[in-house]
Amino acid sequence: MKLEELRKIRERAEADLRLRGGPTRVKIVVGMGTSGIAAGARATLRAILDEVARRNLRDVTVTQTGEKGLAAQEPIVEVHEPERITIYGEVDEALARRIVAEHVVNGRPISERVVAVREVKG
Amino acid sequence: MIEDLSMHLADLIQNSLRAGARSIGISLARLGGSLVLEVSDDGAGIPEDLLPRVTDPFFSTKPGARVGLGLPLLVQTAEETGGECRVERREGGGTRVWARLGWDHPDRPPLGDLPGTLVPLLATHPEVEFTVELSDDRAKWTLSTRELREHLGEVPLAHPDVLRLLERELAEGLAQVGLKEER
Repeated sequence: MKLEELRKIRERAEADLRLRGGPTRVKIVVGMGTSGIAAGARATLRAILDEVARRNLRDVTVTQTGEKGLAAQEPIVEVHEPERITIYGEVDEALARRIVAEHVVNGRPISERVVAVREVKG
Repeated sequence: MIEDLSMHLADLIQNSLRAGARSIGISLARLGGSLVLEVSDDGAGIPEDLLPRVTDPFFSTKPGARVGLGLPLLVQTAEETGGECRVERREGGGTRVWARLGWDHPDRPPLGDLPGTLVPLLATHPEVEFTVELSDDRAKWTLSTRELREHLGEVPLAHPDVLRLLERELAEGLAQVGLKEER
């Protein structure tokens, strides 16, 4: 591993964090069980990480989980916001990028691709 | 379905994560004419009485799942290439899955996109320590997420610059130990 490169990344990223700061606003969870992986969840997860990075979204975290019990609709992507969790099904790379751009950035869920919405009780 | 070996590895890692593992070791080795892959974890482990059944395609411990195809497919793939696959309980807890495949066997699936598969998994589980070891008869290449985090401080592994560096490093590691395929 190139330690010098890691050090530079750390310096840049920490300076950036100090500049932008702020808590996490949205959490994006990608379902990657066996069926999700077979259905293309790897490309979905990479597309989301890439889109979040490209847009420099510092208040968004991306994580992943195993089987979600919705095998027929995988890859599954959940968008966790303070008031609700929106679940998308059959998320390919293109839809993954749209979810970040339209839902996460502009606050407009892509309703025709939403599988379920769960309200979060405060 | 599961088309390449990186998908098999991702499936095994998911099993470890589901078992609540906090430490997962992934190794891939080209030894002589064989390709040996191993995933070991410190998760909940498989009860002794269930061990013989985990390679049965109609058996799964996942609630709601009717079938668990990942392990049976790996067994089938290994055996088709003249190799074998074993699932063992680790002393002190956890599970070890070990598979040997014939490197030159025409039925061996390609390695697939190993950096593109492993790096997103490693980067999105900050609670887990991953160790990746790539080797052949001459050389060894290792990566430890614990060491990486020590160097990165508060910067997450999912940071875009870190992701890019990791994918590049892993690709170089594969080439160093003769695990790069010309297919």
